[in-house]
Amino acid sequence: MDFLRRNRVLVSSLSLLLVSILLLSISVRSRPYRDPLAEVVFEVFSPLGGAVRWIQEGVADVWYGYVYLIGARRENEELRARVTELEAAMVRLAELEQSNKRLADLLRFRSQLRGQVLGARVVGRDPLPWFGSFVIDLGRADGVRSGLAVLAPGGVVGRVTEVGRRSSRVMLLTDNDSGIDAVVQRSRARGIVQGARDGGCRMNYLRRDVDVVPGDVVVTSGLDGIFPKGLLIGTIADISLENRGLLRSARVEPGVRLDDLEEVLVAGATVELREREPAPGGPAQVEDLAPGEDES
Amino acid sequence: MRSAVVLGLVACVGLLLQSTLFHEISIGGAVPDVLLVLCVYLGLNQHSVGGAAGAFLLGYLQDAASGSPTGLNACGMLVVFVIVYLTCRRLWVDNVVSKVVLVFLASFVKTTVVVVLLALLVPQRGELSSIPAYLITQAFLSAAVAPAVFWLLANTGIQANRETE
Repeated sequence: MDFLRRNRVLVSSLSLLLVSILLLSISVRSRPYRDPLAEVVFEVFSPLGGAVRWIQEGVADVWYGYVYLIGARRENEELRARVTELEAAMVRLAELEQSNKRLADLLRFRSQLRGQVLGARVVGRDPLPWFGSFVIDLGRADGVRSGLAVLAPGGVVGRVTEVGRRSSRVMLLTDNDSGIDAVVQRSRARGIVQGARDGGCRMNYLRRDVDVVPGDVVVTSGLDGIFPKGLLIGTIADISLENRGLLRSARVEPGVRLDDLEEVLVAGATVELREREPAPGGPAQVEDLAPGEDES
Repeated sequence: MRSAVVLGLVACVGLLLQSTLFHEISIGGAVPDVLLVLCVYLGLNQHSVGGAAGAFLLGYLQDAASGSPTGLNACGMLVVFVIVYLTCRRLWVDNVVSKVVLVFLASFVKTTVVVVLLALLVPQRGELSSIPAYLITQAFLSAAVAPAVFWLLANTGIQANRETE
């Protein structure tokens, strides 16, 4: 009796072990039968397990819906930054491509001129709309002086009017004070191309009897001592009918898009167009100056 | 009575976690055995008939909640309880590391008992070649949760009921 009292834990454990083995043997033999108490425990735990699963899924939803989104947001920000970078690079590339094309045109145009010609960059424009002028990055130190012709692949741009040490102002052919001695290429009718009040230009002092029609090309005559002979000025857009005297005038559409200019050439009075064989149906000089055409 | 209620609650929560949440972090099918840690706790601290009954009930609870034959885990738990009880009467097991090691070994014992009983009584069940890996993983996972369970039980104010020789 004393032994049992002293070893009651071991004795009770062994007794329960025997009970367990008995339960196990019954359970194994009578499977799938389960004792009622085990079924009660199972019935209680099943819904609780469902509840835990529900909480677990809720937490998982919060995790994936919120915490995971923090990562997604960070990734989104990184991708946005990358897209911005790539867009900037794309814009830079497009800019370089356009610049390259413009400079290639300018170089091609330059090769058609004989004499000293300087390449210049447009660095400023007149803030007031009624003065047609812009500023280039060449000045006295670069050999630029007042009165030099300013050209672009499309033809005449204007002339230098003010010269600084490192920059110069160019008066556009559309300025009111501008005047260029010109001829209509087809009929050789002479006149003066001057800036008009509407921001365009007109060919004035055309004799009434000369043959001028809209679409005629107007080129420099070379007689003003500023612009080389044969440079494109523009095309006749329409002829004024109001003037009923001896002379009349015509509106000229400039050959150069003056608002978009970024690079120009500054040419001295001694500069000439290289002579080429005239194309059938008209003088060659004007066509020679068309941008994008290779010199053969 | 209070101790029994606290242990019962911890056992129920542990069983719920074992059968739900812990399956999300199971490795090779092995999950931390919280009830085994409780059984080791009983073997260490409840040297009474109540301790033995508690070990039996833990195993029974596990059998009832799982699909195993009734008595299988109860046997394993009782063997573990007896071994831990006998061990702590002769060895000083009072710091966390020794308890973790004890849980690790107890897991080996329990799984071995279960496997042996299954092999004897239900020989057609289970693939024996995968048992060693399962046994080690199960022991590691159970040992991993042991400090947290022991800390929780130590902070619930359960009175130890130890025998002195």
